[in-house]
Amino acid sequence: MIDLRQAAARRLRSWAARRFGTDVLPHPVDRRRIYILPSGFGLALAALIVAMLIAALNYNSNLSLAFAFLMTSIALVAMHHCHRNLLGLVVDAETNADGFAGASAAVAFTLTNVSGLDRYDVQIRCAEDAVTAANVAGISRRAVIVRVPLVARGVRRLAQFELATRYPFGWFRAWTYVQAVVTLHAAPSPAGEREAAGASRTSAQTLSGERSGDEDWAGLRPYAPGMPLKHMAWKVLARSEEAAVRTYSGPASEPEWFDWHALPGLAAEARLSQLCRWVIDADRAGRTYGLRLPAASVTPASGPVHRRACLRALAAHDGEAAP
Amino acid sequence: MRLSLPRAAATPALVERPSLDRLLWTSGCFTLALLPHVGDMPPWVLLFCFIAIAVRLGLAAGGRNALPASLRTLIAVAAIGLLFAQFRTFNGITAGTALLGLVAGLKLLEVRTRRDVSVMILLVYFLSLDALLVGSSFWLLAYLVGVCWFTTATLLRLTVAEPGPPWPASLRYARLIVLQAMPLAVILWLFFPRLTEPLWRLAESDQGAASGLGDTLSTGDLADLALSDEIAFRVHFFGAVPPAAERYWRGPVLDQFDGRVWRRAEPDTTPHPGLETEGPIYRYRISLEPYPHPWIFALDWPTDWDARAQLTADGMLIGPAPISQGLDMIASSQTRRRETEPLSEAARRRETTLQPATGNPRTLALADTLHREHPEQRDFVTSVLEMIHGQNFFYTLAPPPLESKDPIDEFLFDTRRGFCGHYASAFAVIMRDAGIPARIVTGYYGGAFNRYSDYWILRQSDAHAWVEIWIEGQGWQRIDPTSAIDPRRVDRRLRDEQTAISIANVDLQSALPWFAALRLRADALRELWRERILRYNQDSQQSLLARLHVPNPDGEKLVLILAGALAAALGWLTWQVRRELRPPPRDALRRAYEQLCAKLGGLGLPRAVHEGAEDYATRVAGRRPELADAVGDLCRRYNELRYGRQASRDEIATFARRVRSFRPRDSRAS
Repeated sequence: MIDLRQAAARRLRSWAARRFGTDVLPHPVDRRRIYILPSGFGLALAALIVAMLIAALNYNSNLSLAFAFLMTSIALVAMHHCHRNLLGLVVDAETNADGFAGASAAVAFTLTNVSGLDRYDVQIRCAEDAVTAANVAGISRRAVIVRVPLVARGVRRLAQFELATRYPFGWFRAWTYVQAVVTLHAAPSPAGEREAAGASRTSAQTLSGERSGDEDWAGLRPYAPGMPLKHMAWKVLARSEEAAVRTYSGPASEPEWFDWHALPGLAAEARLSQLCRWVIDADRAGRTYGLRLPAASVTPASGPVHRRACLRALAAHDGEAAP
Repeated sequence: MRLSLPRAAATPALVERPSLDRLLWTSGCFTLALLPHVGDMPPWVLLFCFIAIAVRLGLAAGGRNALPASLRTLIAVAAIGLLFAQFRTFNGITAGTALLGLVAGLKLLEVRTRRDVSVMILLVYFLSLDALLVGSSFWLLAYLVGVCWFTTATLLRLTVAEPGPPWPASLRYARLIVLQAMPLAVILWLFFPRLTEPLWRLAESDQGAASGLGDTLSTGDLADLALSDEIAFRVHFFGAVPPAAERYWRGPVLDQFDGRVWRRAEPDTTPHPGLETEGPIYRYRISLEPYPHPWIFALDWPTDWDARAQLTADGMLIGPAPISQGLDMIASSQTRRRETEPLSEAARRRETTLQPATGNPRTLALADTLHREHPEQRDFVTSVLEMIHGQNFFYTLAPPPLESKDPIDEFLFDTRRGFCGHYASAFAVIMRDAGIPARIVTGYYGGAFNRYSDYWILRQSDAHAWVEIWIEGQGWQRIDPTSAIDPRRVDRRLRDEQTAISIANVDLQSALPWFAALRLRADALRELWRERILRYNQDSQQSLLARLHVPNPDGEKLVLILAGALAAALGWLTWQVRRELRPPPRDALRRAYEQLCAKLGGLGLPRAVHEGAEDYATRVAGRRPELADAVGDLCRRYNELRYGRQASRDEIATFARRVRSFRPRDSRAS
């Protein structure tokens, strides 16, 4: 039964993908693309209504019949309301999401409700086990994070996601498919004990975090999200309400290269995990680093954007192409 | 009003434990649905349900969940076993309703998750419907629609992750849904084809235990009926109405007497030979209340009726089955008749027999004396009526009890107080003793006209008994000995305090005319409800189609019209439901803003549906730098007016003027 349903859902998904092509985000939900079917609870209600009708007709009781028809009509009205709960909702998504293998990627969606109607229990579903429900008030916008589990390292493309609702009574399930590609970058899970060759001289200091303020002091830079908090100039923040970070010159700022070829004797995935470990440690320490892979390299830099570029390069590494 | 929306749970958590709040509201719905069953459910089932509610709420308040499974099973087996021991069946309304109540109570005890609570809600819906299988008043229906509304609001809260919308908002939303469902429900109800025959006959006889005439009469009977204000049936005359003295509504004819009780012989449906009816034909519709017998109280003597009924030789209409749901029938009667053929020997023997055990020797002696004095039949009858009129006989609804083994003797010679049963019984015994065939006819007499709705009401208090005697050459003729009592000796006082209360109603009515009028009006409404709603059937559907000018209405057309009307109603519903999707207040401010957007849209820069005013202004500024100031200014102003402190009418008007005077040139055109 479950298999049958899943098979039907698969066929419907692929049909919808062929029929409607790719959607442009942000995508307003169109009424022609909302599907609706009774849920298990709805089927139970249908059985109840049939029992009501039989009882009322058999006892020839006009009032019971009226009540049974009222229930029928409430179900029909509920169906329209369920359908409407998705209608006209505008959905937008970040087209890239990052994470580590074995953990999950947080895909960021935005639901915009341009009508004055509150919408409840709108579910965004990226995969069987990646569903988040949200309520969106009338004329408002709401960010929804769906955590998609990442099983293995690599780049995965989600060709579509699903918006669904069971509101108001759980009798019906309305859903629609949005054909938009979300790329999931699953970096290798960081692991490994080796030391990076180019970082041996300063790594002990860096990792221990014991830095005397005057040694390599190079001045203040405005704070940007992702910069290490331990370099935060708290006194400056307290004085001027401007967040700043201390920067340091000296050997630690020298670009280090994390090189695929500097890790002989390790299997491909283990190498990637080690490289990932280095990238994360270096980023946490606020150092400048570069990444060299057989098919790609990232020029040295620092900061969150750079870190992401490195992790994506690690995620995209193609094992087949490696020497 | 803006709802503050709570953060939804990460997954549709239907398996989570229901909160005390939701259990409380579900229990509330359950209680509301149980209340109409207080009369028809066994008291212990009701008690069980209320205890189950208390136990479940107690557990939830203590932070615990359902009872342990073994205990629940034990309770379930015991309760259902007890129910079966009581009814020996689960079929039929009474047993079925009791079972449903039990199952709902048991379900409440085992509720663990929100999904379980949803199942509970379905049971509550069915309990509500069940109440309507038994009851039939407008108020019950209105009450249960209210329960349905409340239950639906509860269900709404169960399906949204906690905490859902606040209660007032849930109730408003459920009300909207119920109201939108009404037109559809009315269409379905009007045009859904009705069954002519039930799908299956029910094992039990589900009859309202309405009181009414029985098929025996002992001298003390009918007194209870005389105090009952309940309606027996209603009659609408098409055309002429018979005079009061001829409004005798014929019921069972009793012709076997054992000294105390009159009984009915086996009904004989062979038509009486040589029967001629005379006088004006009265055509009428009789609407009987539910009643555990198949008798149809036609006006004496019925000449025309429909195929469902049969006329017995003694002039009684009998329906196909006990009138457990009430019955409507159109019939005709003529109030005078003649029977030219002589009475058959067998019938004469039957109608004159006084069994040896009859007793009542003083009555028989009196009859013999009178008969000797007045050998002529007509004189004899007159002399008996004159005795009743001239001697000290009283009419009273509170006669002294007749306790001797010769009750008629006791009545005629000692107490001399009684009502129609006493007089008819005594009169018939005297006639039979003199060899005149006589029998007792029970039924109703008179009736009260409801001037608000053109029909006559016959109440149980109008129950009556009279006598028919056989007059050679004329046949059976009605004699009503009760009417012979001197009106000065008619006393409607009562036997004791207890019954005085119910009669006080009657007295109140005669004392306060407006009270009587109010009651008549109320009854007119009730009758309208019965006629139009409760008795709505296939025939009513046909006449409805005829009134809608549908040629040759039949079942097929009915289904077509149902489909058409449903399609129209669903179209209306779709429009109605989507209408709410439009942005809510199309006030002056919004109109002005939309005008601005339309102007910019004309330049190839339409506002995207999800775009806020500031974002839009930024985008316009990027594409058309020369408009940046003007558009940015207007959009900022719009946001201030919309979301800032309450904007005054003047401020909005100024904004609208500025939008009107804003005339951007189309750069593409130039």
